[in-house]
Amino acid sequence: MEREGGRKLKNVIEVKNLTKEYKTLKAVDDLSFEVYEGEILGLLGPNGSGKTTTINSILSLLKFSHGSIKIFGKEMRPNAYDIKRDIGVVFQDVAVFDELTVYDNIDYFCGLYIHEKSTRVKYIDDAIDLVGLNDFKKFYPKQLSGGLLRRLNIACGIAHKPKLIFLDEPTVAVDPQSRNNILDGIKKLRDGGATIVYTTHYMEEVEILCDRVIIIDKGKIIASGTTDELKELAKIEEKVSVEVMELDHKYIEELKALKNVDEVLYMNHILLVTYKKGKNNLVELMDYLKKESIKYNKIYSERPTLNDVFLELTGKELRD
Amino acid sequence: MTVFRTFLKVLKACIVPIILYTVILVAFGGFNMKTSDTSTAFVSSKPDIFIVNNDTKNPLTNNLIQYISENSNIIDIENDEEKINDALFYRDVNYIIYIPKNYGEDFFNGKDPKIEIKSTGDYQASLAEMILSRYIKVANIYKDVVDTEEELISKINNTLEKQAEVEITSSLDTDNLSKATFYYNFASYSILAGCVYVICLILSSFQSDKIKKRTVISSMNYKKYNRDLLLSNSLFAIVLWMFYVLLSIILVGNVMFTMHGLVYIANAFVFTICGLTIAFLIGNLVNNKNAINGIVNVIALGSSFLCGAFVPMEFLPDSVLKVAHILPTYYYISSNEMIAKLETFSIEAMRPIITNMIIIVVFSVIFVILSNIVSKRKQKIG
Repeated sequence: MEREGGRKLKNVIEVKNLTKEYKTLKAVDDLSFEVYEGEILGLLGPNGSGKTTTINSILSLLKFSHGSIKIFGKEMRPNAYDIKRDIGVVFQDVAVFDELTVYDNIDYFCGLYIHEKSTRVKYIDDAIDLVGLNDFKKFYPKQLSGGLLRRLNIACGIAHKPKLIFLDEPTVAVDPQSRNNILDGIKKLRDGGATIVYTTHYMEEVEILCDRVIIIDKGKIIASGTTDELKELAKIEEKVSVEVMELDHKYIEELKALKNVDEVLYMNHILLVTYKKGKNNLVELMDYLKKESIKYNKIYSERPTLNDVFLELTGKELRD
Repeated sequence: MTVFRTFLKVLKACIVPIILYTVILVAFGGFNMKTSDTSTAFVSSKPDIFIVNNDTKNPLTNNLIQYISENSNIIDIENDEEKINDALFYRDVNYIIYIPKNYGEDFFNGKDPKIEIKSTGDYQASLAEMILSRYIKVANIYKDVVDTEEELISKINNTLEKQAEVEITSSLDTDNLSKATFYYNFASYSILAGCVYVICLILSSFQSDKIKKRTVISSMNYKKYNRDLLLSNSLFAIVLWMFYVLLSIILVGNVMFTMHGLVYIANAFVFTICGLTIAFLIGNLVNNKNAINGIVNVIALGSSFLCGAFVPMEFLPDSVLKVAHILPTYYYISSNEMIAKLETFSIEAMRPIITNMIIIVVFSVIFVILSNIVSKRKQKIG
């Protein structure tokens, strides 16, 4: 892959034909992709799509059935400690010692990589700053809320300043304030030069964070590219939803006949009109409603989301 | 150092249950030691006897009563059956002897008269019975070879007066050695329970799947991590062993500063190492903190009961002891029992104890190998 300037991007991870089989089930099916230096790559897919299995295989936590994995140009193995030194992982489940304080937890996990005390102390302070846990250094995990625990989980995974970071659904069950804090922290890590692999099933996060996205379903890559590139795969260009208390069926048929309209749905007092392409769709719809004296309360227009892309490609919702 | 530092921090966090557990074990052991009779010294003892004599004028009968009174405490009770039964029930008397009319004369004439008795059935009653039967047996031997009652009485008295002198040649302080053996036998439970409880508690944190996953993906060599963890646990086990050695010096100090004491301490050390490896294996197998108390009971209490830590080995059925052979505690307790009887400390005399220690070390090696296998298997998550 090349940047716009023509400079070739360096591969940090190179996965070729990765397959992981559990007896008759193929959890990961012939996956091949690269992760480039300095980018945030989103692995997007519904629960059970094979995201975590892919990550675990890359980290040599799982013995995979076929394929090859290279990290920093070297083959990844369970005892490749020189590669592991530059990798940080934040797992989906919070993995901390209940018996240790916030500071001691970060100290322990950082200490598995950094042995020099003065460097470690600085790194721990940086990690605490990054996740905003300065006021909770002496707290025990049981005293922290779910959001703060997630932040501690992240700090434990990245305190040793790794060049490559895997974040496996780090915002599951997190309050909005903590989520924003976590997402800001991830951006700061990228700005600091880290390469990030981010798995999630929240498409909003992917759109905010990721430079590139790989959509996985049933262990296979079904699409990849930037969010804009992926959205081009969707056959719709605009979605308009209108809150209408009553609507006769004849109007639905008339709306379908309007210019650029792809589909019209009316459910739970919401009229949803999707457009294949075109400009001024919203204005034309409002004119029609006025002309037909159809009363409406609220009206929204939005661009297609990655969920629409996923729906288009698989026929099901991302969160199914 | 990271693993060791964190080990100490986790240990500190668990200090309250650990102290409570140790106090309970020590108190239980101390109470047992105080209440159990470990004495092996011989003390003369006399049973309490009441005699209902219906043959007062016969010299042979009088001589029998004289002999009984010299060797027992004659108790005075009203000659009433109800009162006699009450005295037996309340253990005021151990043995009642009913001498029938003309007993002496009938005995001398070979009519074989019967003496009736009532007894509490305890060991004091057995002692009283021995006194009575000894006299009658001797009288029976001489009865047919003498001409007069006086001659018979004289021969009986001559025979019964003879005392055999018994000299104890052993220089062993049997009383204190028994106490030390009891202490170190009980310590098998305390050491094993302490090791399994504390090490499993700490390992359940270190070896929980989530923490382990993080450790496995770190740049720390997993073998080094396991070695650091084993060394940290070893340090704890040694502190635990030292604690129980120190306690033994306080409780049975006069034995502990002898060669016997040294062998007890060495035996306990080998057993502590074995307890450590058992705990390490269980800690690798079980990550559930709630299950630890149950495991301690099964492992430590079970092996202590089977191997004679609480009930001496000589009282255990052969079938139980056969099963106990598969447990390291059996060899540890066997050695303690042997140490108490050691007269010399030659290689020959020590050979069975050294053999037992080697068996315990072999057990430890097996547990370490099993721990490594379990740990390696758990390293992979799928």
